[in-house]
Amino acid sequence: MSPGPRTDRRQPAGPHYEGRSISKAFDGAPVLSGITVSFAPGEIHSVLGENGAGKSTLLKILAGVYQPDSGELILGGQRLPALSPRSAQARGIYLVPQEPALMGSLSVTENLFVGILKRGRLRFNVDWAGMHREASSYLNRVGLHIDPEARAEDLSIAQQQLVECARALVHRCTVIFFDEPTSPLTANEAATLFEVMAKLRRDGYSQGFISHRLDEVLTVSDRVSVLRDGDKVLSAHVSEVDRSALVKAMVGRDVASRRRVRPPVDATGREEVLHVEDLSSAPAFEGVTFGVRAGEVVGLAGLVGSGRTEIAETIFGLRAADRGTVHVRGELLAHRTPRSCIDAGLVYLPEDRARHGIFAEVEVQRNVTAGVVPRLERFGPLLKTSAERRMAGEATARTAVRMTSLDTLVKALSGGNQQRAMLARWLLAEPRVAIFDEPTRGVDVAAKDDIYRIVAHLADEGLGCVLISSELSELAIVCDRALAIYEGRVVGELSGAELTDDRLGAMVVGGHAS
Amino acid sequence: MSLLAGAAPAAPPRPGRAVRRLTAGSQDRTWVSALAFLLVAEVVYFSVTVSGFWGGGTGMLSLSEQFLDIGLIALGETLVILAGEIDLSAGAMSSLVGIVMAELWQQGLNIWVATALALLVGALGGALNGLLVTRFGIDSLLVTLATQFILSSVATALGGGSPPYGFPKSFVNLAGTGTIGPVPYQLIAFAVIATVTGLGVSRTRYGRGLVLTGYNRAAARYSGTNVRRTLLWSFIASGFLAGLSGVMVSGFYNAARDDIGDSLLLPAITVVVLGGVDIFGGRGRVLGVVVATFVLGLLTQGLLVAGDSSLTATMVTGIVLVMCLVLKIMLNRRSGASLRQLLARRFGPMTRPPPTRLGGETTS
Amino acid sequence: MSALPAPLDASPPALVGARARFASNALRHREVQLLLAILLVGGVSTALHPNFGSASNISFMLADSVTTMVLAVSQTVVILGRGIDLSVAPVLGIAAIGVGFPAQDHHLNILLALLFVLLIGAALGVGNGFLVAVVGIPPIITTLATLTIYGGLQFIFTSGQEVISIPTSYGNLGSADVVPGVPWLLVIGAAVVAGAYFMLTRTVPGRSIYAIGNNSDAAFRAGLPVRRVIFATYVISGTLAGLAGLIYLCHTGSADATSGTDSNLNLTSIAAALIGGTTLRGGRGNPVGGALGAVFLSVALTAMVFARIPPIWEPAGVGVLILLAVIAGGEGTHVRKMLQSAGGARR
Repeated sequence: MSPGPRTDRRQPAGPHYEGRSISKAFDGAPVLSGITVSFAPGEIHSVLGENGAGKSTLLKILAGVYQPDSGELILGGQRLPALSPRSAQARGIYLVPQEPALMGSLSVTENLFVGILKRGRLRFNVDWAGMHREASSYLNRVGLHIDPEARAEDLSIAQQQLVECARALVHRCTVIFFDEPTSPLTANEAATLFEVMAKLRRDGYSQGFISHRLDEVLTVSDRVSVLRDGDKVLSAHVSEVDRSALVKAMVGRDVASRRRVRPPVDATGREEVLHVEDLSSAPAFEGVTFGVRAGEVVGLAGLVGSGRTEIAETIFGLRAADRGTVHVRGELLAHRTPRSCIDAGLVYLPEDRARHGIFAEVEVQRNVTAGVVPRLERFGPLLKTSAERRMAGEATARTAVRMTSLDTLVKALSGGNQQRAMLARWLLAEPRVAIFDEPTRGVDVAAKDDIYRIVAHLADEGLGCVLISSELSELAIVCDRALAIYEGRVVGELSGAELTDDRLGAMVVGGHAS
Repeated sequence: MSLLAGAAPAAPPRPGRAVRRLTAGSQDRTWVSALAFLLVAEVVYFSVTVSGFWGGGTGMLSLSEQFLDIGLIALGETLVILAGEIDLSAGAMSSLVGIVMAELWQQGLNIWVATALALLVGALGGALNGLLVTRFGIDSLLVTLATQFILSSVATALGGGSPPYGFPKSFVNLAGTGTIGPVPYQLIAFAVIATVTGLGVSRTRYGRGLVLTGYNRAAARYSGTNVRRTLLWSFIASGFLAGLSGVMVSGFYNAARDDIGDSLLLPAITVVVLGGVDIFGGRGRVLGVVVATFVLGLLTQGLLVAGDSSLTATMVTGIVLVMCLVLKIMLNRRSGASLRQLLARRFGPMTRPPPTRLGGETTS
Repeated sequence: MSALPAPLDASPPALVGARARFASNALRHREVQLLLAILLVGGVSTALHPNFGSASNISFMLADSVTTMVLAVSQTVVILGRGIDLSVAPVLGIAAIGVGFPAQDHHLNILLALLFVLLIGAALGVGNGFLVAVVGIPPIITTLATLTIYGGLQFIFTSGQEVISIPTSYGNLGSADVVPGVPWLLVIGAAVVAGAYFMLTRTVPGRSIYAIGNNSDAAFRAGLPVRRVIFATYVISGTLAGLAGLIYLCHTGSADATSGTDSNLNLTSIAAALIGGTTLRGGRGNPVGGALGAVFLSVALTAMVFARIPPIWEPAGVGVLILLAVIAGGEGTHVRKMLQSAGGARR
């Protein structure tokens, strides 16, 4: 073990940390109602739940980011006063956020020590040399071998995540919460993070963990609690539960999550609605060729960073192509822009819904019609609002968006309903082919199921679908064919009975399927 | 296509727990009503306390000629700010276009041809701003800060020591001081342009793209809006309207000056913000800006008529702006907290960061 | 080029490589670029007009830049925290008349004057800080409003009078040289810059400004008192603007109702900070760059005068320099992309 400044705390690191009867409401809407949850030393305790179940809110309250409306926090037997992030850290409680939030232009060292910069001999100056030395030893502990003087913005997301982790150690925190740390990570990177977590467990840290990926939760955790609609509906040792029990607890009903959503379709002979030929955009991807026929769901499987999103963005005219062509229904789309693609019948549902999809501060109606503004009914140059409202109303009804009215702001909808509103937007464009980029990211299990069904239904109606996902099991149950992308190239294709998550899994990491 | 029919999934209906009744539109309407109330209160106050302000209603109307130039610049600035950018060069543009118009006229061109060409210069100047912002991706605050300097130099150089004055009567009448009955031509022109701008923002395809761009630029691009073209046209409109204000001021004073626009920019931005337009883009109504033009304009003119100096009047507009914004923030706060608690929370160590953006593109 | 050590002929190749690398690394710093640009403009102008390089002209240019220099430091501090301060000009003006009248009429001691301008500046900075950090009004709007409010106050305080003569102790400070070519004012300016540089890079509060400018949410989570720090940046900015008021008074020997606001000092100070490499995104830049930006502006504008370019083109020169600095600094995202196109994958 590293000699360093932490050896004194190595043995029984974490105290017992407990939240008792925590309640919280935002603007009158209850999010948590009387949750009791505890975190023990040497244990990883996972909190599960659908989107909007209150998991993140719970961790943020435990870490002092939010104040609970009622309830108490008990650390090592002592009741804590109202916490702030600072006072929580001072007591050894740290929250690793979902997306690493480092200060880009500052050094790794400064990011580690921000808030507790070491002072030099003059008392008001900063001791840089000393901090760089100490930073190195902390970085080694989380398996990072990087220059502590490097700028944080030059690190990969995974490295930044680990820096967040090291920051918890620097702050001498022994209760560490991870809020969906793996969602931006590839499988390998996530594995590295789990090693670090396992090491911390051995050292006696108390850890809380949130993830949407049930397999991860089952591998990593010692204990699992499930929240649903602000209540704790299950809390058990991981050996006492299995996948289906967890899913059932989360959604309150049985979900056949592993069964095919629809039988595979052989689309040979149908019209080819999308044809991509030798598309390249260095350095992201090279020579990509594939076609999609009407009524077919084609998966693009690949790890984060394999170039799959870049392929979609290039097809949709968001990135420049070096060479290659895109045909929609046999018609060549030269000089593609999102507009010309939409008009030709090709739509793209982006991966990052918050940034590229929704207009959070805008009401549902204008969100839904945003893709077809040029086609809205007009009186002279003026848009007919009543016609627009009718269109938006029909589209949202078809994708079953749950909302009080079309005037509800989209930010007030849950993740799954936001995604349904996005689907409604693209249905209005009457597409012939649609690219769905990680449509179930940040969406709870029940909503996932619905989205699969919508995709399957659209395919049955004759829409050509491209489904991009890093969840291979998802591809295996929805797609008719799947292409594996590895380092910017198509490395293989599977269809029919060959299309299993194991085989895809072998291909997306660069191996061969047989 | 019947792709949509029956696509609804078989999910059991759940009550929308997380759905709250939040609409931006109603808040904006409340703000405009509050401004209108303020306007009425102001008119009553000055009419009672300052002789000559009311003037049977006509005195007040003719006062409007003193501030409609600000209103015009504010309308152009509204488009740019709604798109999430800012145009600091509008004041200098106003001066430049006035000078160009006058110089062309002095070179022997017909005054109306000169006006048309000068307005074209305004639009082209706006296009230059727009291209620098969209093609080079430089923050508009920086671009227009720079072009503001450049345009004012050009205006001074063109105007020379004694810029032209003494325009044809027809021009002075129509662009400047003329009236139909008690109603100045300028007021009519402003009403028309404000109506076009207002409908353009709320009811046209371009306006929809503009507003969506202001709310979330990336999402607008992903849903098919040509963001660059939208931004470009907002800057062109701002340049054109700033130019129009320059022509109007030149007509009103019957003389061009290379510094007339300098004093118009800050009041114009004040008017836009007071009108309820979000400096970060997307939110706001043109009607609010129009009402705010009169609130601020009549306030300034009222003070001037009452004998205060112009610097004092400007100071009062600054104070009004701050008070309105403080009021707005107080109204938006969560209910229940007293002012003191609010301030304590804001200033305590456990507080969220304050807004830090300057008004550039906005994410999330 | 004389600023860099020339490689020795006898150096082993590795050392030459290291030096070349050092040189190219150094060239990437805005401070070094500006220093070279100042020397270049100065050198060319001196070659064409020998008078340009005279001690008196150098002293003039440097002394002339000090007001902007101090204001550029104010702007840098605020911009680092992702704000902006459009009210430095009237703060300077109020400080200048605030001590100008007592100095003219009652021979106010200059040290007391120094204390007064700092207090005046700090008080006005508190106003900005309160509105931005406590109330939560966006900085550009806040300081736009206080620009007009403080401008009005300045007018009211003068009540039609103006300062036309100042005691010799003030005048000497404003015009005398330490050694020929190095005015006293520059010493004051340099001290301010050095102090600000030390505060920003080597002290805990200074580093919090960078942290907050980089990512205020992360800084908040790290337990930094975000609002207090933002508040403090405006107080610092105001205090320095007050100091700039005294410098202005000493340098020009006069002050009136529109001192500061009439000479575009707001915008030139922002220009100097931006030319010095501070970016509006916050968290990047330092006061040394801003100071060199002020000197560069002064030298470049004086060179324009020597080149017989009419003074009306001075603002245009500033405008072009802002654009060039921004494009050279890669703040334009498209430019940055073009420069990076040879680089690796972005995700």
